[in-house]
Amino acid sequence: MDRYGMQNQIACIRRSLFDQGYLDEQFIQLEELQDDANPNFVQEIVTLFYTDSTRLIQNIELTLTSRPTNFSKLDDYMHQFKGSSSSIGAKKVTSECAVFRQYCAAGNAEACIRSFQHIKQEHAILRKKLEFYFQMMGQAAVAQTT
Amino acid sequence: MAHTLPSSDQSSDQDKWDSGGLECKGQLLIKIVMRNRLTALVVDGDTTCWVLEQELLHSYGVQTLGVDNSRDAVDLIASDAEFNLIIIEKILPVLNGLEVTRQICEIGVRCKMLEVTACSGESERQAFLAFGVDVFIEKPLDPEHLVPILRELDGQ
Repeated sequence: MDRYGMQNQIACIRRSLFDQGYLDEQFIQLEELQDDANPNFVQEIVTLFYTDSTRLIQNIELTLTSRPTNFSKLDDYMHQFKGSSSSIGAKKVTSECAVFRQYCAAGNAEACIRSFQHIKQEHAILRKKLEFYFQMMGQAAVAQTT
Repeated sequence: MAHTLPSSDQSSDQDKWDSGGLECKGQLLIKIVMRNRLTALVVDGDTTCWVLEQELLHSYGVQTLGVDNSRDAVDLIASDAEFNLIIIEKILPVLNGLEVTRQICEIGVRCKMLEVTACSGESERQAFLAFGVDVFIEKPLDPEHLVPILRELDGQ
């Protein structure tokens, strides 16, 4: 595939992430913070998010299996999760976190467990999509220098 | 491996957008010229937010220091470190954001304080404002909220 074709493909991938609601405007802000002095900023911050949120997911899972359910602790964890996911523009993940907090506030453990499955799904889907997107960008960068 | 976005030769705005957004730098980041070198303390237990907020402040020429827990924040302020701006998250390790705000105000700090948090009810918002927070912002911290505050601190 020629360079223009690759650029086109990358643009389509990127546009679909927004069109399908996986990312919101906040992701554009990350891109705007990336510059020559910080050329990998977007990928670095996304990697940081997934490192931290994976640990958070483990903590939440542990708390969900404990009895009695510590809703206050769950709410604090989810508060953090919502904050970091919104900070990278992870729109669907952020929405699911908000739903979880509602069930948490209502003291509904079963609903929290179901809601958490949705969060993990969206978290994993977005991870795969972003990994593919960054991989394509990397290939395009290499193609440009050759 | 460096992942530099490809530069684009296309002239239209749509093509520049499609090339990855880099050519549209400044679309969301509001450009301002700062007269003074401001300093900020970022207090957030979440690393992603901590890094991002500092990077946003850096982009406006603000010198920042970040701490990831309330104890370090209070100790820093108590050691006479001065800042033009303090950004605090509500949920923090050791003490919560509200208690940190109260302690910082008790020390006698009189700089601009921003509460930047994922979500909060009206009662909590009012509690923070009553304790001395100047502005309450829902995450993510964005230029639309930040720039007017920086301009004010810069005396513009």
